[in-house]
Amino acid sequence: MVSDVNFGWSSTIVKVILGATKTNGGTRRLSYQIGGGTTLPFLEGTPDFSGPLIAFEICDDPQNWSSIVRNYCQDIVNDCGEWAHAADSVYGADMIRLYLTSTRQRNFSDIASVGKTVESVLSKTSLPLIIEGSNESTIDSEVFLKCGEAGEGERLLLGTAEAGRYRSIAAAAMAYNHSVIAQSPIDVNLAKQLNILLKEIGVARDHIVIDPYTGSLGYGFEYSYSAMERIRFAALKGDADLAMPVICSAIDSLTVKEVRDAEPAIQDDIAVQWEFTTGLAAAAAGAEIICVRHPRTIPLLRKAFTNLKSEKTDMGGQ
Amino acid sequence: MTDVELAIQNGELQLKTAITNIQGTFSYEDTAYHLPISYALTGIPVHDRNTSLDVFSRTKDNSLVASEIILAKKTAGNGKEESPYTGFIGDSTIRKLGYSLVDGSILGLALIVGTPESAGSAAAICRELQEKYMLTFLAGPVIPSLSSAGVKLGLEYRLIPLGSSALYSVHFVDIIARVAMMFGGVTPGDMHRLLSYAAERAKAIVIILPGLSDEEIALVDGMRVLGFPILSLGDYQKGAWISATPENIVRTGMELKGIRVNVTAIPIPMGCSPAFEGKSIRKEEMFVEFGGGRSPAFELLQMKNANEIKDGQVTVIGPEIDSMKEGSANPLAIIIEVAGKTMKKDYEPVLERRIHNFVNYGEGSWHVAQRDLIWVRLSKEAVAKGVRIEHLGKLLASKFRMDFPQLLDAVSVTLITDPEKILVAKTEAERVYDERDARIKGMRDGDVNTFYSCTLCQTFAPNHVCVITPERPALCGAISWLDGKIAYEISPAGANQPIEKGAVINVLNGEFDGVNRFVKKASHGEIDRCSLYSVMEYPMTCCGCFECIALMLPEVNGIMVVNREFKGLTPSGMSFSTLAGTIGGGAQTPGFAGISKGYILSDRFLQGEGGIERLVWMPAQLKEELKPRLIKKFNEQGKPDLFDKIADETKAATIEDLMVYLDSVKHPAQTMKPLV
Repeated sequence: MVSDVNFGWSSTIVKVILGATKTNGGTRRLSYQIGGGTTLPFLEGTPDFSGPLIAFEICDDPQNWSSIVRNYCQDIVNDCGEWAHAADSVYGADMIRLYLTSTRQRNFSDIASVGKTVESVLSKTSLPLIIEGSNESTIDSEVFLKCGEAGEGERLLLGTAEAGRYRSIAAAAMAYNHSVIAQSPIDVNLAKQLNILLKEIGVARDHIVIDPYTGSLGYGFEYSYSAMERIRFAALKGDADLAMPVICSAIDSLTVKEVRDAEPAIQDDIAVQWEFTTGLAAAAAGAEIICVRHPRTIPLLRKAFTNLKSEKTDMGGQ
Repeated sequence: MTDVELAIQNGELQLKTAITNIQGTFSYEDTAYHLPISYALTGIPVHDRNTSLDVFSRTKDNSLVASEIILAKKTAGNGKEESPYTGFIGDSTIRKLGYSLVDGSILGLALIVGTPESAGSAAAICRELQEKYMLTFLAGPVIPSLSSAGVKLGLEYRLIPLGSSALYSVHFVDIIARVAMMFGGVTPGDMHRLLSYAAERAKAIVIILPGLSDEEIALVDGMRVLGFPILSLGDYQKGAWISATPENIVRTGMELKGIRVNVTAIPIPMGCSPAFEGKSIRKEEMFVEFGGGRSPAFELLQMKNANEIKDGQVTVIGPEIDSMKEGSANPLAIIIEVAGKTMKKDYEPVLERRIHNFVNYGEGSWHVAQRDLIWVRLSKEAVAKGVRIEHLGKLLASKFRMDFPQLLDAVSVTLITDPEKILVAKTEAERVYDERDARIKGMRDGDVNTFYSCTLCQTFAPNHVCVITPERPALCGAISWLDGKIAYEISPAGANQPIEKGAVINVLNGEFDGVNRFVKKASHGEIDRCSLYSVMEYPMTCCGCFECIALMLPEVNGIMVVNREFKGLTPSGMSFSTLAGTIGGGAQTPGFAGISKGYILSDRFLQGEGGIERLVWMPAQLKEELKPRLIKKFNEQGKPDLFDKIADETKAATIEDLMVYLDSVKHPAQTMKPLV
């Protein structure tokens, strides 16, 4: 018996292009087109579905980054170009997400360094990039201008726009043809409102990726899951303002109590399991991009996605 | 005296002659948009005589197009003008400029063209434009005049000297044309899109100084089709230009184009953020308090004309905090005056409610209730850090400007702490409150075709949809139909959306097909039907914020109402909190409804069940609260004895007692149609 997976949905998730190859004016070796879904992921009868992309998160100032990741990756974390290179060639990520954590120091003013950092990462990996800029409104304007400029032609994904702070990111995306991550705090209506605000300022719908905000497993993930589910249902039922692909990054996974308090001998394993399980759940909810920070999580997720795609579930059959 | 209309005619003729005689080839460097104005309007790259003539005739002899071609030809022949003049500005700079416009670091663009009467007055206009985050382009003799007055020019000073004559103001338009193509998705040749982009999105104003030639007048007048206000100084007559003075020209232009200066920082010595909203200031932490029944206090927000208000002005009338005794209660009036092009009188009470949020945003300030019932406290910690009464005013003035940038152009705040003067002001405030109450009071559901939704609570009650009508406020009691309407006008993508009532399905239950359609969609397909006036059939969903719960008591064939404040058990055998837990979360529970106190007084209350005669029980405190208005209503309906027939916990605490009581008073519900 084959389960009925037709829910009467009529709409499609907007397709967003990430990364530009040489033929499209960029220097990436590949370009992704995410979105395009017409139903939930991993269902039977959706052969085109290629599984979510796995983005590996790095930063340009690792002093507040998880010590678990720093211990695993070693000295490479101090050179984000090399780190990006490793994520590409050794860890096997699909994308790199660069957090410009250096801009988050007190009184940061070296705006020129932002452009240099972005350029160096672009030169060390040819994967499509996600760039996370400042999170201080007084420097947003200059930082995002630099990010946008440095990545001109590369079709970056820029983050993170929020309801009170989206103009600079939107401007950088519009000026240099990048896409934008629109984050709302686990709320379908706020997600929609932000997308409308972005649309009003002039960002095209196929340049927006929704970040519903992802709590870690056991620390609010069920709320994120529910928000994602409702965003996706609304989109598939025809709400164009929510019909964008989703990105999830459960950045708290490596700092939850269970990981912090784990025996040193198994701490690394617990951290990976926590990140993996959260990422898998986010993929099941329909996220198109899953972000991770521990390199060992990548092969686990990849294997799980492959299995989910190939296993035909026979609901109720014997 | 210059007759503008005559000058335009002459100028257009001269431009036409010049175009007819155009020869050779010409183009700009550093652009993918050819001659940008011509290209944006027609999609044709102009580089020579033939394309020039073609585009000129296609645009019906447009003077902007003519001037662009003439200037391009001139630049190709003579080369670029020397510094400080920028001449044509390349695409990569325009991209950055567009960025600043979208990003909000530049609010708009201004063009100043002509010869100033004095360098000083031109410098003053430029300074005002700089202060208001405008990027100003200059063309003609105004440039040397400013330089001679020591004004620094250049992109970093947001004053861009385009060229030595007014003809160079063409570049102002070619920049806007390119921004429209780069950022506005305008395809070259889509004239209609270009014009609507320029009119709606391009925040540009044109300031004209004396001394323009006829061709130059024709050129700048051509910018009117782009929807830019053209403001003139000096003796220009007739025509469609707006005559102004050096003092008001910038403000008038910005107002006409709807360009507003945003407030970004609040100059007070305490933190201000929604993060502090939930904190309270206990008696022992408090330095002083105002109102709360301890001293006279009220708040009032009123709309005024723009010229009656000085934006950001805060006035304290009466003693400041340093002359108040620690721990004392003092009088306080918070009087806010606002002005804005789109502000309406109806918005006043809605904005006034925000005082509550904003004062609570202050790290050391606290506020409850509304109107003349307010209660405000300032903490010892805040006062030690230097917070004064005046800072409450600064906080409010800034927050109103920050949160309603589209609505408000100016906000001023007056704080009265003088015990005599506050009483006079309070009488006036009470008159305003009465006036406002009267405005919504007479409104009936039948008078309107549109209701408003509220989905604010979907954060925690995912499928809950409040439908707000003139006669049924939101179940939390906080949002009336008028509030919903205004909230929608202020924030069209927000949580309050219009609902077309549609055809009537059941007149008594208040079921409408438009409402059903909306609720189905907004509840994400969970709820198919919603009766606005019935507790029994398809009642509205409940979030958790309801002021009261109405529920059916089958044993007595009636409906009881319990309010949140009542802590005891009700005749249903359950307390308010148990009931709330049963019906909240966005569910539709026949026999139960979350309602506001105000709805009890409405003629639509329990209409589906036969009206207020069904009401058999309320807590004594709620009964007391509503007493004057209920008695008035019952008298009007010719049922003066109904009030006493409604039981409360002192008359009947259990369902058995209630049955006995209702029997003894011959409550009308007993003889009504069975509820189940």
